[in-house]
Parts: sequence; C-alpha cells; structure tokens
Amino acid sequence: MKAEVVSTYRGGMWSWLFQRITAVLLIVCLAIHLVLTHFANIGELTTDNVAGRLAHAGFTAVDIILLAAGIFHALNGLRMVLMDYWFTSRSRAMGLSIVLWVVGLAAMGYGTWALWPWIS
Amino acid sequence: MSRKPIEIANVGAGLWKATGMWAWLLFRISGLILVFYLLAHIAIISTGQFDKFDSIMKSFDTPVLVLLDLALVVAVLYHALNGVRIILMDFGVGIKQHKAIFWAAMAVVVICFAVFAWVAFTFIATGKGVIS
Repeated sequence: MKAEVVSTYRGGMWSWLFQRITAVLLIVCLAIHLVLTHFANIGELTTDNVAGRLAHAGFTAVDIILLAAGIFHALNGLRMVLMDYWFTSRSRAMGLSIVLWVVGLAAMGYGTWALWPWIS
Repeated sequence: MSRKPIEIANVGAGLWKATGMWAWLLFRISGLILVFYLLAHIAIISTGQFDKFDSIMKSFDTPVLVLLDLALVVAVLYHALNGVRIILMDFGVGIKQHKAIFWAAMAVVVICFAVFAWVAFTFIATGKGVIS
C-alpha cells in the first residue's frame, strides 16, 4: 500500500507557503548579497562606499527583498519554534503573532527608512 | 475501516531519532542565531542615518570579528542547505533517501564554506577581496 505523506507543519497554510516562498527568495538574494559584499574588492566598509553601491538600483532592490523576506522568514520561524513550547494554545499563539507582526513592521520601517534616500 | 499507514518525512519535531533529529535540532539552533543576527544587522546597518556607521564598522574590522563572521557563514549555509532538503521533502521528493540527501547537503555546505574561508583568510592577510 502506498503510504500517505503528511506534513508536521502546524503554523497554518499561508505561514507554510510564505515561509517556502521567502526561503527561495533568500537563497537567491543572500547569495548575491554575500558575493557582492564579501568576495568583490569593494574597499572599506564606510558610509561613502556603501552609498556608492546602493546607487545601483539592482543592489537596492536586492536589499529591499532581503529586508522584507528576511524579516518575515526570521519572525515566522521564531513563531514556529515558540509555538512548540509556551505558545501552544490558540490564544497564546494569536498574542505571539500580534507581537511578532509589530516587531516585524517596526524592523521593516526602520530598515526602509535607512534605505529611503535610494528608494525615493 | 483501517487507516492507511502514515509516513512522515523525518524533518520536523516528533520523530526523535537518528539523523533527522540532529538535522532538525541544528536547523532550529542555526535559525534562532540567524533571527538574532538579522535584527542586530538591521539595527546596526541602519545607523548609516546617524553618521555612526563608519566608527562602528571600524570597531568590527578585527580578525576575531572576521572569524565570528565565518561562524555565521556556517549557520547560514547549514540553514540554507537543510532548508533545501526540507522543501524537497515537502514536494515528496526523496523522503526515503532523506539521510543520503542530508549528507549530500552537508557536502555542499563544506564546499561553500571552503570558498568563504579562503575569502576570509585572504581578507585577513591582505585586507582585500578576492575579485578585483
């Protein structure tokens, strides 16, 4: 008999789907990010050098994708871990989600604010 | 009516045995390290707004910090490659070979780490990147 395959993921359908989508985005964009920041001879890490890099629209785009996908993936992952321990009931999990959304949106706002000179 | 036997990919909590358990545990630990790092990274990089960026980056420019960076690379590579394995399991690919796929993923981790280590030691030795 063919065995049935089930997932142990308990965070909900959208949580699961976006965790996978952001995972793939992060693998691609993080590879670009690490190669450009660590392999290339780009000089010292100074405000001027970083500003020069961000002057390329592609670099800024990768940074924005990393910011959004990274924050979602990190905090949703943290939520999955915490839901295995104290946040096991529906109401605790809901409270946790609200707190993590506030933290995530604040981090997104802070990061976007720093990138704003290149976005606008 | 008897239930069909259920097979679960050994990539998550619940199956506390063998390779899958360690893969899961390290995935969790590396994930938690990366959450902490990401938030710190955003907080520090965003100080570019306040003219503090240069002095903070200068304080990071020591061989010890480059080595810590290399430890971070291990966490990133492990999390990424085991994550690829988990996505394969989600698609039902290679569930029966999950241990072999784990070791194949670890081989990729070692190869990528070797490249990063070469880059890091080139940087410590010469202060330059490897691509000019």
